Amino acid sequence: MTQLIVIGAGLTGLMAAHTAAQAGLQVRIIAKGMGANHWHAGTVDVLGYHPRDSRQPVRRPLESRDVLVAEQPGHPYARVSPEEMQAGLEAFTRLAQEAGLPHRGSDEPGRNLLLPSPVGAARPAFLAPEAQLAGELGRDEPMLIVGFQGLRDFYPQLVAENLGKQGVTARAAFLPLSLVTRERDRNHVQLAKLLDEPERVAGLGRALRGLVKPGERVGLPAILGFQRHREVLASLVEQVGAPIFEIPTLPPSVPGIRLHTALARRLEALGVRIETGMEVLGFHGEDGRVLWVETETAARPLKHRAERFLLATGGVLGGGFQSDHTGRIWEGIFHLPLTLPQERSRWFRPRFLDPAGQPVFQGGVPVNGNFQPVDPASGQPVFANLWAAGNTLAHADPIHERSLEGVAIVTGVAAVKAMVGDRAPANS
Amino acid sequence: MPTLETEILVIGGGATGAGVAWDAALRGFQVILVEKRDLTHGTTGRYHGLVHSGGRYVVKDPKSAAECIHENRILRRTHAHCIEDTGGFFVVTPEEAESDYPDRFQAACDEIGIPCTEIPVAEALRREPLLNPRISRVFEVPDASADSFLATHATVQAARMAGARILIYHQVEALLVDESNGQRRVQGAQVRDMVSGELVTIRADMTINAAGAWAGQIAALAGAEVRIIPGKGTMVAMNHRLVNTVINRCKMPSDGDIIVPIHTIVAIGTTDEKVADPENLRIEPWEVQLMLEEGEKLVPGISRARVLRAWAGVRPLYQENFTGQDSRDVTRSLALLDHPSRDGIQGFLTITGGKWTTFRMMAEKAVDRACQHLGVERPCRTADTPVPGAEQGHYWLGHRLHEIEEARLQGELVCECELVTRAMLEDAARNNPTVTLDDLRRDVRLGMGPCQGGFCTYRAVGILHELAAENRTAPVTPESPQEEIANSPWEVAYLQSPGRHVRTGSPQEVLESKVLGPASPVTDPRTPVSNPNLLLRDFLQERWKGVVPVLWGRQLKQERLDELIYLGVMNADHLPDEELASPLTDFYLFDTTPGETSPGTTPSGQEKEASA
Repeated sequence: MTQLIVIGAGLTGLMAAHTAAQAGLQVRIIAKGMGANHWHAGTVDVLGYHPRDSRQPVRRPLESRDVLVAEQPGHPYARVSPEEMQAGLEAFTRLAQEAGLPHRGSDEPGRNLLLPSPVGAARPAFLAPEAQLAGELGRDEPMLIVGFQGLRDFYPQLVAENLGKQGVTARAAFLPLSLVTRERDRNHVQLAKLLDEPERVAGLGRALRGLVKPGERVGLPAILGFQRHREVLASLVEQVGAPIFEIPTLPPSVPGIRLHTALARRLEALGVRIETGMEVLGFHGEDGRVLWVETETAARPLKHRAERFLLATGGVLGGGFQSDHTGRIWEGIFHLPLTLPQERSRWFRPRFLDPAGQPVFQGGVPVNGNFQPVDPASGQPVFANLWAAGNTLAHADPIHERSLEGVAIVTGVAAVKAMVGDRAPANS
Repeated sequence: MPTLETEILVIGGGATGAGVAWDAALRGFQVILVEKRDLTHGTTGRYHGLVHSGGRYVVKDPKSAAECIHENRILRRTHAHCIEDTGGFFVVTPEEAESDYPDRFQAACDEIGIPCTEIPVAEALRREPLLNPRISRVFEVPDASADSFLATHATVQAARMAGARILIYHQVEALLVDESNGQRRVQGAQVRDMVSGELVTIRADMTINAAGAWAGQIAALAGAEVRIIPGKGTMVAMNHRLVNTVINRCKMPSDGDIIVPIHTIVAIGTTDEKVADPENLRIEPWEVQLMLEEGEKLVPGISRARVLRAWAGVRPLYQENFTGQDSRDVTRSLALLDHPSRDGIQGFLTITGGKWTTFRMMAEKAVDRACQHLGVERPCRTADTPVPGAEQGHYWLGHRLHEIEEARLQGELVCECELVTRAMLEDAARNNPTVTLDDLRRDVRLGMGPCQGGFCTYRAVGILHELAAENRTAPVTPESPQEEIANSPWEVAYLQSPGRHVRTGSPQEVLESKVLGPASPVTDPRTPVSNPNLLLRDFLQERWKGVVPVLWGRQLKQERLDELIYLGVMNADHLPDEELASPLTDFYLFDTTPGETSPGTTPSGQEKEASA
């Protein structure tokens, strides 16, 4: 029998399944879709802003984490020790390396990177794929931001102007999209796949060489290859003779999809089964244990039995929580208790960009120190063999905190370690 | 301080004001129209889009009904391209099965001359399969659906072609009231340019107050009391075109008894609540709830569809000496207030009440009266003068997709939900004065689809920024802002037709040749509103205001994705120029989170609060 079923194939589910496989468990992932990586920037954001209304990004996330958990003892980061946090992030770094998509942090260990966003804001990120590192705003080289005419999701002049307002020397230029393709209706993912072909890269390299001035580094929308991404990047750097970096773009996000694809392949190579297109719609529990979960497929409902289950379906964004017009918001599979207000009038604040965030996105499944969902009244686990991690957890707003991947990785790893008894119980 | 002179000053850039400017200009008057924000910012841009056949009021308010059918026939000619000929049904639901209303309705339609044919229920269900199958009778009337943004823009373009000057983002601060000869006379107004902050004096022989829900405030500046009865109507937009015909319940007008197809969506309307302030309209949870519950009676299952947005407009109802409590009981007929005879104030008229459908008639009556006071006889010409673009005929649901496929513009789409191309956006920004992205939303429907600006906000900001960058290299024109607005091309008749905005050659050729057209205010680097970060923030907030009342289910998930995009990927809450504000920044904020009361709160409790 399967020893562990992980529900959800986002970063949390992948890291949890990897940890379980490392610990020798027989593990399967079943998921509706492919997780929120596809939408995000491909970086690992651990903690970007604290307190939330701070205008200045966090410099050292692991240090600010201590402040955060002192103020918010329910935060998912409070369920792990600083050492476990470090260990979780290192586990990710190793896995990404093995998967062929290395991620690195700042040259000064422990510091956040500051990377250009597609509007030219400075994004704090703790780890980034190689292709984004040369965009670090602290470096001295002036930037040349290059866009493609006819590409609707990247505006180099806007990026350059906003970077300029923040003291970064940047200028913008356009290249014709025909360097990559003559077809006009192409999104970034399609363009990235086209750039896997070496002759197209050669053409792009020649054009870039004509634009770049000595000493500049070159920023491009994140379309530099898909399967052969690292070769594409290396080849362009060599041809152009300048550092080159990618700037992440609107969904679908090429760096996010690369990350998901690389990690999923590596997990499959390690023997983890990943089954997507299987939405878990219900479960059966007896005597305080989950016996099976049920998915709907085209033909018939399927029962999936396992010794243990880990819920990694994400919150509202991942599809783990559902809601209706009456103000009810619930966890969709196990109907676990949530810390969210069951009243629509208390879900929102008047400003979209309110630094405090929207209350409806700030709650989730309360867990104990071992990441087992608990009944808030008794503090006892709801099911003896159910764990939860990632964006489903209560007391965080990972999008506002810029902790999305950090929470996913660290809690995904720690939940499985808690499950197999490979950790000291968390104290806070 | 600049001073402008004119014969007729029109206050208000909604349907009525635009109509007055058009009518007066066609009669040969010098005309200036001032609007404090963008055209249709007020009630015109916030109504359900129904071109009334008159059926809705035929029993309760036959005078208004007669006005509606008269104007319905005219608008189908003069503003053909702003109208979709959906037709309308009045259906008898099980709740009204025993009522005598349907028979009275049919008799009243015959009496007034509203074409009304009873059709078999089976025929109605064949045409509208989602209609409640338990309806017992169906009457077909010539209702239609209007694009009130386009219609007002087209009216204004017609007015400009006849010589009128249109100043948007110019707010009236004071009326010029002269009391020298023992007689009070309005001689124009002092207005503030909301973009530059400059004061402008406009001298006029006749000032016509068409400020809609704000008409009372304008009249007060002349010392006249005009008690507008502001009736708030809340509407809810669903993300599918669930019906193709306007569906009315065959009963006395009430809340939530009408469903109007508008472009790609349907709107359920509407409530009618007396409110104190036409500016800050809260949408209460019970209103949304009521719309969905009532909508169920017409189209079962409608409440489970995805709700895009909720919004509210204020009817500028007027009835001399009205003492009732319920604004539903106020007449929908137009009201022309002749201040010379009513209040002894010369040179000043107020035109209010009425329906969007009757805006042309309201304008005609107002300008007729103005002619009397000015001692001239000039006949009205609007009923026989189509506005620019009317030659296109009525629009239909698939017209954008059809034009995009014909011209192979798929790669040019900026807003996939509403099929807005880059060229449409650029031409709208270039060819009529634009201050915010919200102005472009009204022009081309940017951001009005299921993602509510999630993707197109960023793209539009990037595109406008590129336009601005082009213009920064162009010499700054010496004209005053008023001249600049007055001289902008203002070609709006084909705003919504992708096929009319095709950039020749490949996109790269166009950009390489730098053919980017003349400057428009949005691209004027002297104004704070040319700042891309401000445009972005303002539009995100504007969209937020309209989605908050209806966020749940899949739309809540969509909103979290928008947070991921704008916070996580873009870090748009940490951009430079945070301190900048546009004339509308404050408007997009709402002080109180809508729905502090629970969904179970009774409407009666709310009424007290609203009318307090």
